[in-house]
Amino acid sequence: MSKVVGIDLGTTNSLVAYVRDGVPEVIRDASGDGLVPSVVSLGEDGTFFVGREAQRRLLTAPSRTVYSVKRFMGRGIDDVHDEAALLPFQVAGEPGGVVRIGIGDRQFTPPEISAFVLRELKQRAEEHFRDRGEFDFEVDRAVITVPAYFDDAQRTATRDAGRLAGLEVLRIVNEPTAASLAYGLDRRDRGIIAVYDLGGGTFDISILKVEDGVFQVLATNGDTHLGGDDVDRLLMEMVLADVPPLRPAETIQAVRKAVIQAKWDLSEADEAEIHVEPSSALPGGIRRRISRGEFEQMIAPLVERTMQPVRQALTDAGLAPAEIDEVVLVGGSTRIPMVRRVVAELFARTPHSELNPNEVVALGAAVQADILVSGRREMLLLDVTPLSLGIETLGGVTSKIILRNSTIPASGREMFTTGVDNQTSVDVHVLQGERELAADCRSLARFRLRGIPPMPAGLPRIEVRFQIDANGILSVSASELRTAVAQAIEVKPSYGLTDEEVERMLIDSFEHARADFDARLLIDARNEAETVIHATEKSLRRPDFTAIAASELKPGEPARIEAALADLKLVMGGTDREAIADRMHALNHTTQRLAEVLMNRTVREALAGRNVNEV
Amino acid sequence: MTPDPIPVNPVSTLECRTCGAGAPVDEHFCPQCSRILALGRHGDYFSFFGLPRKLRVDAADLEQRFRDLSRKFHPDYYYNAGPTERLASLERSSYLNDAYRTLRNQALRIEHLLAIEGLPAAKSEVGTALVPPSLLEEVFALNEELDEIREAREAGGEPGELRARLERARTPIDVKRDEHERRVDALCATWDRQIDTGDTAIQKRVTLESLREQLFERKYIDNLLAAIDREAASLGARAG
Repeated sequence: MSKVVGIDLGTTNSLVAYVRDGVPEVIRDASGDGLVPSVVSLGEDGTFFVGREAQRRLLTAPSRTVYSVKRFMGRGIDDVHDEAALLPFQVAGEPGGVVRIGIGDRQFTPPEISAFVLRELKQRAEEHFRDRGEFDFEVDRAVITVPAYFDDAQRTATRDAGRLAGLEVLRIVNEPTAASLAYGLDRRDRGIIAVYDLGGGTFDISILKVEDGVFQVLATNGDTHLGGDDVDRLLMEMVLADVPPLRPAETIQAVRKAVIQAKWDLSEADEAEIHVEPSSALPGGIRRRISRGEFEQMIAPLVERTMQPVRQALTDAGLAPAEIDEVVLVGGSTRIPMVRRVVAELFARTPHSELNPNEVVALGAAVQADILVSGRREMLLLDVTPLSLGIETLGGVTSKIILRNSTIPASGREMFTTGVDNQTSVDVHVLQGERELAADCRSLARFRLRGIPPMPAGLPRIEVRFQIDANGILSVSASELRTAVAQAIEVKPSYGLTDEEVERMLIDSFEHARADFDARLLIDARNEAETVIHATEKSLRRPDFTAIAASELKPGEPARIEAALADLKLVMGGTDREAIADRMHALNHTTQRLAEVLMNRTVREALAGRNVNEV
Repeated sequence: MTPDPIPVNPVSTLECRTCGAGAPVDEHFCPQCSRILALGRHGDYFSFFGLPRKLRVDAADLEQRFRDLSRKFHPDYYYNAGPTERLASLERSSYLNDAYRTLRNQALRIEHLLAIEGLPAAKSEVGTALVPPSLLEEVFALNEELDEIREAREAGGEPGELRARLERARTPIDVKRDEHERRVDALCATWDRQIDTGDTAIQKRVTLESLREQLFERKYIDNLLAAIDREAASLGARAG
């Protein structure tokens, strides 16, 4: 059987993990890196770059390089106007329709961009299984995580992205819940857990009760537009205030990179420097010191914004902070000391952060994937729907059908009738949110119930059934009870893609697949070659290299290595992947003896440092 | 024991969609082929949990049953099953979740009992001008006091002082609520005893009617307390 993986599709970075022999592990590249930056770039020649490759192009091709696309999943252009202003790439779309991202003369929906990242993760996993010599290395099914507070449109967009990437999405799992699964592996005892998840673009709080291996979410809350990105934006606004208003995209990216570095530094040090190299648009460059005190004062309102959802979730769960047994921190932004401090103060206990906060969600997704395919029953996740589901009734008022924090799967029914004699259709507007007025809630979809048998007004009894599945995704069915006629439903998602649109995109992506595949092989060849070049140069630069060469290598060998290295570097810039592969193998072959010598020395040195009895 | 004359559930058996065997309505799995059964038109949350229709529920026991049934029904465990079983799992899980949410909350539990015993609480009663007679005096006094506090707040009155007034206005309502809860508890105990001793339908009906009245009163009290909370929030917001 093909493999099923767990994927954390993050705002900033994405990861893929897999359970082997009951233990979840992150699948890493050759250099041990588990993170794939959620960045996609389109070259002038039509080549796509994903992950680290694309990240490098943030500075060189900012207008063709897309990041933080998760913030646009399942959103309309009206939702994202404010933040689009600070982005170097083009964000557009028809009013009332989904966001479209323009690169050059091509347009992409957010699920299409996310699909590139998912394909990269899928390939990474497949390579990993192939390298291990596994016969079944194909990955065509996955569990993908989303913020707990994602609404129906955002979840559906994530599932569409999976489909576009050639993955059957077995389950959409909430990130904090996935994290708790990863933590709960070896601790099956009972207790109440709070998971505080502050990532790149989203904030979630979930309160869970764990007993007998059942992880039951009691309440969840959050903000799908609050995270590390906002911290970066505050820092950028501060820095850019001193910069002349004419700023090319390159400058914005350079500043963004510099403030992110300073933010990271401030997690360790009391002071950091925001440093931007001089450029034509910014001849003086930027050098600005920022203290942790200054930084904390700046981000305090953001941290405070996480407290309101936390309090609401506690209220909904009917618990006081003191009743929480354990607190778990998830997401890169929980590395900020102020965030840790505030959370610790609220719950009056030290939060858990033993597992890498960047990896814990992917690990949990892998655990859930394993539960689904293995049929193991010792653990069970019972999640909730984060937002109430309702319909618009007379006067534009919301009538709630499934309340927020209801355990899913959940269902609800509502009766409809006609207002005019012989009326054969009824329009239904489905909403998600807590507000009283329909206009203040999120519009999910409009349905038209058709084929109602002609009857006097008010006589038909049409039962509409709303079903939220274990993914938190809604489906609707209807039937007229007097005649038992099932109703046809026409679905118009407010901020999503219709099935036809997804199908068309799939066909488009197959047409592009050939070119994408070639480009991909070239990138792989370059990456591999770069690793070999790097390793060779490192050996040549060793202070003891001359001595080693003299005593252990054949005469002329160092020169041959230098030559092979130069040969490879020569073809690196080109697009002939065969040439790159050939010369890389040549270099590998030439350095074989040197590699063995160095390896033996390393082993000897390591052993020499130890007592004989220890060996 | 006298047989219950109130219609309970029109469906008395289920048909297994996998093997075609018949099963009692409260079975979850087919006695013949042991596959999960489609839900059908189940309507009684108590019997779904295997519980008698009693109003005093042991919360820990109910939770344990919920967890046990979740482990049997959850869609997670039916990924490799056929579409019939997958649909049945989805329906049963949804129904279980609705049933658990209803039964663990006393007011919802009473409402559900009334519905399946043929006395549904009319939805439109809530929020109408009809005040339960037992609350007339308190409602009158509270509304007057709330109006005065609101006026004083809008005229710029001292929030601390107004909050204290609000607290005093709340006290009689809290007292009413406590009395109400004791009455409901006593009625629940009566009902449960009647189930055990097999009282006549008429006697049970009297208890149910009283419970319905209490439910109405409860909603009214909750609305009053919500009005006080809203005013308190307005005061707090101004002070902050």
